[in-house]
Amino acid sequence: MQKLESRHINVHYGTTQALKDINIGIDANTVTALIGPSGCGKSTYLRLFNRMNDLIDGIKIEGQIFVDGKDIYEKGTNVDSLRKNTGMVFQKPNPFPKTIFENVAYGLRVNGITDQKFIEERVETSIQQVVLWDEVKDKLKKSAFELSGGQQQRLCIARALAIQPSIILMDEPTSALDPISTAKIEELIHELKTKYTIVIVTHNMQQAARVSDHTAFFYLGELVEFGITKEIFTNPKREKTQNYITGRFG
Amino acid sequence: MKTINENKLAISKRRSQNIAFFLLGFLGYFIVAILLVILSFIVIKGFSVISWDFITKMPEEGMTKGGIYPAIIGTLYLVAGSMLFAFPIGVLAAIYMNEYVKDGFVKKFIKQMTNNLSGIPSIVFGLFGMSLFVNKLGFGDSILAGSLTLGLLVLPIVIRTTEEALKAVEDTFRQASLGLGASKWQTTRRVVLPIAFPNIITGLILSVGRVSGETAPILFTVAAYFLPKLPTSIFDQAMALPYHLYVISTSGTNIEESRPIAYGTALVLVLIVLITNLLANALRKFFGKKVKMN
Amino acid sequence: MNHFESELELLKADFVKQWEAVHLQLKSAMRALSSMNKDTAKEILSQEVKINELDLKIEKNCENIIALYNPVAIDLRFILSVIKINSSLERAGDIAARVAKFVIKSGDDFYSDLITKTNALVMFEEACELLKDTLVAFQNNDSQKAREIFKRDEYINEINKTAFLNVIDSIKENPEEIEKYLKMLSLVRRIEKAGDISKNIAEEIIFYLEAKVLRHKGK
Repeated sequence: MQKLESRHINVHYGTTQALKDINIGIDANTVTALIGPSGCGKSTYLRLFNRMNDLIDGIKIEGQIFVDGKDIYEKGTNVDSLRKNTGMVFQKPNPFPKTIFENVAYGLRVNGITDQKFIEERVETSIQQVVLWDEVKDKLKKSAFELSGGQQQRLCIARALAIQPSIILMDEPTSALDPISTAKIEELIHELKTKYTIVIVTHNMQQAARVSDHTAFFYLGELVEFGITKEIFTNPKREKTQNYITGRFG
Repeated sequence: MKTINENKLAISKRRSQNIAFFLLGFLGYFIVAILLVILSFIVIKGFSVISWDFITKMPEEGMTKGGIYPAIIGTLYLVAGSMLFAFPIGVLAAIYMNEYVKDGFVKKFIKQMTNNLSGIPSIVFGLFGMSLFVNKLGFGDSILAGSLTLGLLVLPIVIRTTEEALKAVEDTFRQASLGLGASKWQTTRRVVLPIAFPNIITGLILSVGRVSGETAPILFTVAAYFLPKLPTSIFDQAMALPYHLYVISTSGTNIEESRPIAYGTALVLVLIVLITNLLANALRKFFGKKVKMN
Repeated sequence: MNHFESELELLKADFVKQWEAVHLQLKSAMRALSSMNKDTAKEILSQEVKINELDLKIEKNCENIIALYNPVAIDLRFILSVIKINSSLERAGDIAARVAKFVIKSGDDFYSDLITKTNALVMFEEACELLKDTLVAFQNNDSQKAREIFKRDEYINEINKTAFLNVIDSIKENPEEIEKYLKMLSLVRRIEKAGDISKNIAEEIIFYLEAKVLRHKGK
């Protein structure tokens, strides 16, 4: 059984079709990169896996998305627990206006955990997982906004890890960061792979090549090609993919 | 030939730019000048009567002498009362509108109605307040009735500023919170409101300024012509600065003699509004720093 | 055309120029050998310097393009094949130079006979043709033509084998000239190598066009 699977997914915003019959299967403990030009539907596709698209007015979703073999768009799905199982990281670092500690503790608190000792332990392990502990251990009570952009983004990843999800969705997680912070996040992705299933949307093709095991190329709402990253970047099967990754698009 | 034309063009471009700059600058300073004229007019005329006694004593001798203490206290009560009423309702309504209702007919309808509400002249609010709160609900001329009427008046302002403040919160904050399994209400209360707070405060202060200066809505609902004692309950009548000012300038026992007191009252009123505005800015900066975006 | 593509075009122009120059060198070497003309041979040696210079330039450009443009997919394969074919061309150029040196050192009738006997010129002619056809295949993105090269190289290998036997026989007949015969044998070997080089180039062309690695695979 695959960790994530989409079958015949069609998404409409009003009258425009954002995704056309998307079928992808993603194995556990792999990194899958979604690439394609702006507006190709890759972000929309990413947000299907934690039903974040539900927030958009006038969206229509057809087809099935399976997480651990269960169709999450079925009636009666507990969206909160689905999302608890799915960490999400965004384009711009977006820590909450709280202390560093409370940012990471947030997910635990909203899920009803009150045992302070447990929370403290979990916060520490989560921050250690993103290799941020040494940088922030003396200022856990300070505002998260005092951190640099790269640190903030790692904090946001720690925030997502604290609730122990099995899936991490990343929406262009390094597009607002400098190259060194970017390299740190990429390294982190590589390490997190052993424990989590990661799906990452990126505009940076080198990044997709560096961090992912599989790559899906979207264009105008269609899945043009999905395959092993090494093959996509050395010998893509479709000409459109070739033109896109070699920068000859259009 | 061409270069000459280009030079000409450059000169004419620069000239029109200079004219525009001059006009815009002039208008900007003109507004400042008007404000300064009004302020200095009130300060010059009113400053001489301001004293510790003036703001802490009861009015005397048909309001030609003495202080304006009960009017200040009355206004503060009305501000506090109307805010207690309008702020929670307004903020909750705005939260409902912005966070819960999906785009569509209902939202548009509520929005339009809110806008209409803010367009109604304040005297109409006064009449409505009189018939509903004073007569129908039997509150009589009282701080309660006046506060509720003023509250209704500023409700649209509170709703609209709060809505704007909530809209300014980036969606990714909501998504990040929801993505951690938080409920919508947890997200709103713990993430969205703290971020929007500085801007909501601004709306609050704006409405304080509005409330403290209104005369018409309190005319029939609370304001006492002359009441040389402090209110003891919310069902008491009270004096209020704007109404006091109106009374002693138009229908007092001796208008000429109470003129300086009128200017003094005006100055106090202006100062209250000014101070609340400064306070608002300070609060905004203070909270703004806490949630500063990078 | 974007910046990257114009860089690729420049590289390709140099590369084709080198290819043609090397082909010309081999042809001149063949002519020098057939007539034992030392002037032509000297001309070849002076051209060899230019070929070595262009070889370095092309290699440097490939390195720059990889560092600056991070080519992927067909672009990456193109650069990789340019690097490999370029070094093959340089080796083919060396062969021409070696033949030229042979002509300069040992141009006499003894060899003329032997050359006819071993069919060395036929071999040489075919090797030149092969190199020319690899260029045609490359320029027309014609992997079919590249595949034909393999068969034609076998023909060269056949001639080489018979030449080897011929020379062995000659040595038996005339053992006191063994040194000259061995020199001839190594010359024939070199010409055969030129054919192999074309075969390697053809493999690279197929890799570039079809992303299939043909080397080190059992036949």
